[in-house]
Amino acid sequence: MAGKVKWVTDIEKSVLINNFEKRGWVQVTENEDWNFYWMSVQTIRNVFSVETGYRLSDDQIVNHFPNHYELTRKDLMVKNIKRYRKELEKEGSPLAEKDENGKYLYLDFVPVTYMLPADYNLFVEEFRKSPSSTWIMKPCGKAQGKGIFLINKLSQIKKWSRDSKTSSFVSQSTKEAYVISLYINNPLLIGGRKFDLRLYVLVSTYRPLRCYMYKLGFCRFCTVKYTPSTSELDNMFVHLTNVAIQKHGDDYNHIHGGKWTVSNLRLYLESTRGKEVTSKLFDEIHWIIVQSLKAVAVNASPSLTSSTANDRILKYNLINDTLNIAVPNGEIPDCKWNKSPPKEVLGNYEILYDEELAQGDGADRELRSRSGQALGPKAGRSRDSGRTVLTTWK
Amino acid sequence: MSQEESDISLIIAQIVQKLKGSNLYAQLERQAWGSWEKRILKSLNSMCTELSIPLARKRPVGEQKELLNKWNEMGTDEPDLSLFRPVYAPKDFLEVLINLRNPNYENGDSLSFRTHLGLIQVPLKVKDIPELKECFIELGLNTGQLGIDDSTQVPPELFENEHVRIGQKVLAEQDSAAAQQYVRQGSPTALRAELWALILNISSQPEDILYYEQLKTNVIQHDLLVDSLIYKDVKLTASNDDYYFVFEDYLYQVLLCFSRDTSVLSHFAYNSASPPKSYIRGKLGLEEYAVFYPPNGVIPFHGFSMYVAPLCFLYHEPSKLYQIFREMYVRFFFRLHSISSHPSGIVSLCLLFETLLQTYLPQLFYHLREIGAQPLRISFKWMVRAFSGYLATDQLLLLWDRILGYNSLEILAVLAAAVFAFRAVNLMEVTSLAAAEAVLADLSTLKVMPLLQIFLFATVT
Repeated sequence: MAGKVKWVTDIEKSVLINNFEKRGWVQVTENEDWNFYWMSVQTIRNVFSVETGYRLSDDQIVNHFPNHYELTRKDLMVKNIKRYRKELEKEGSPLAEKDENGKYLYLDFVPVTYMLPADYNLFVEEFRKSPSSTWIMKPCGKAQGKGIFLINKLSQIKKWSRDSKTSSFVSQSTKEAYVISLYINNPLLIGGRKFDLRLYVLVSTYRPLRCYMYKLGFCRFCTVKYTPSTSELDNMFVHLTNVAIQKHGDDYNHIHGGKWTVSNLRLYLESTRGKEVTSKLFDEIHWIIVQSLKAVAVNASPSLTSSTANDRILKYNLINDTLNIAVPNGEIPDCKWNKSPPKEVLGNYEILYDEELAQGDGADRELRSRSGQALGPKAGRSRDSGRTVLTTWK
Repeated sequence: MSQEESDISLIIAQIVQKLKGSNLYAQLERQAWGSWEKRILKSLNSMCTELSIPLARKRPVGEQKELLNKWNEMGTDEPDLSLFRPVYAPKDFLEVLINLRNPNYENGDSLSFRTHLGLIQVPLKVKDIPELKECFIELGLNTGQLGIDDSTQVPPELFENEHVRIGQKVLAEQDSAAAQQYVRQGSPTALRAELWALILNISSQPEDILYYEQLKTNVIQHDLLVDSLIYKDVKLTASNDDYYFVFEDYLYQVLLCFSRDTSVLSHFAYNSASPPKSYIRGKLGLEEYAVFYPPNGVIPFHGFSMYVAPLCFLYHEPSKLYQIFREMYVRFFFRLHSISSHPSGIVSLCLLFETLLQTYLPQLFYHLREIGAQPLRISFKWMVRAFSGYLATDQLLLLWDRILGYNSLEILAVLAAAVFAFRAVNLMEVTSLAAAEAVLADLSTLKVMPLLQIFLFATVT
């Protein structure tokens, strides 16, 4: 099809705009005929809302699925995973198998979590079983570490118990909703510090599920040494790794922003812990991602603000590779075009899961390999400083 | 062992006592090294006077307690370091080397040396490519290498799996000589920590741990001026590094102990340099007033902490990390900042680098010289730091595998030349030193083994 791709965005970020312009795409406004719209989360809500939204035509694509918040809102994510597990159990799927203590063998990747204020009483029952444990409170609709705090006493969340006793007239606006999870207080530490993983996953189609993981994910470190000591529960610099929080700590270093690449992490873990346990770790991370996507199909809005020069380069390349996969050949999108992109186009993405390929081999391949049986040639190896086999359970 | 322990304490205490309110003076032993020594001590002394900080002092009990509490997070300490400056940087040391004339030399070949157009003017014997090929024969094109033959395109059955199996066998048999031979082809990441310990003959015995604890006690009890220099260096270099910032606290725990470790002095026996020996003011030449300062005889320079940083990827137990670093220092790193005629000494490395470039890349060499960009001025800092902080960590570890495997630092000079060869096309187009520096500013994407292999085995000689 002739004609240049017409793009719109309501996010003024150079990493986006430079990528569109270098492809010779044409910028238009949202009221005109557009092919590609990179939307902010607010716009997505409007576009797909039942009252005011509109249907996309066959030659239009956007950067989020309509139900993306099913994964990004913490309460919805938890609900979806719980529902997914129950569904699998009902189907008798081997994935839903449990051990003698009732714990899921393959789907145990969310700590004990309750919604507040809705599940307050259930939570209290659980809390009393191990009263010395720490729990983490997270507001459902916020990001960047805002509003998160730790508790180890019921009195600290009295507010939510009060609300649950009030009449149902009181509209509990979703802004006040929290999830409370058992806090994992023995995290893996490096250099004595806690860190988290920022991984980029692109979902190009949901049915069949086709998703890609960007090879250049990274870890974000806390600047302060970790201590499970209760006196430091209030010190968010110890417990939260979000850059937005760390940026204000005294020790925050602007040259590197406290980040490591995932391949660096892999090198460190292989060197200090060995290859088997490191490969298993990454396998399980990939497994969690795919299962979460299966529980619901979503895509969230990564931060496009760059904190360092290296970061800007990373995000530029990320968007570049994303566009290459999402808008194949730089041509005007056609929703009927549903083939897997050729390998050369992937850039720094690797196939995380391709349902069509997987189904060709039968669904219980998934389970067999999870119990460690060999499966044949490995798929999708990547080059980084420790070689990755992305998954052994394709 | 407890006798040694109390010996160290005694020595440190004696040093502190002697240095009370004093400055240091050097006894000139040899022209070049002597004047360099004098400069370093002058720098230390002036810092001492300007900042009114003693070279050494005993800490009051309250301060000792505080430091003990903070031992695992000294990085959060923010002493005012703005007035401290590194005693010297690599480029200062380079100037000293450039001005070396007529030292003791081994088999200098003065006839061909007259055509040498580099900065080093000392006629030491260095290897040419045919000799290097013989020496580094395991890096040849027909031998499997980690760093090349473990890439994604190569099926692991061809080399990697078998290599890993052999490595495990070597470890099981605890064969140090076999381990050294083995790592010439690179070490698998999961086996590296153990293999290096085996090669360096480090096994953490209780007495080793005790020894480290004793050094730690010394740090707690006495404060040395060089401590501030160490802090400053870590803050300036490792803390700003993409890979090593995480390990900042380990670096203090190693380096502060290191500067008090008098056993390090013993390496000077085979180092033709000598530790900076000084005398209390007014007592020049009187041996009972001589001190080695700092106690280990090693004055840290700008970038010194980068010798330790990569090791943090392998060892996270402080006393083990310490032992490994100390052994790496007394076997290898000390040669990178002392003047000697040893083939792995920095002078030889510089000369080897320059000779390789002039002989095998003459056009490039002459061009750079012409535009005022003597290649050594750019590569010197890489070699002095054994490339730490310049290469990606996985590549650096593959390089250091070969240092251990061949028990030589010559590979640093070969790699430096190989880097120039790799970027030759761009370098031929630059017209200034600054532009040349820019072309060579970022080595973080380089793969060292292919570069070395091509330079040694695929270049027409």
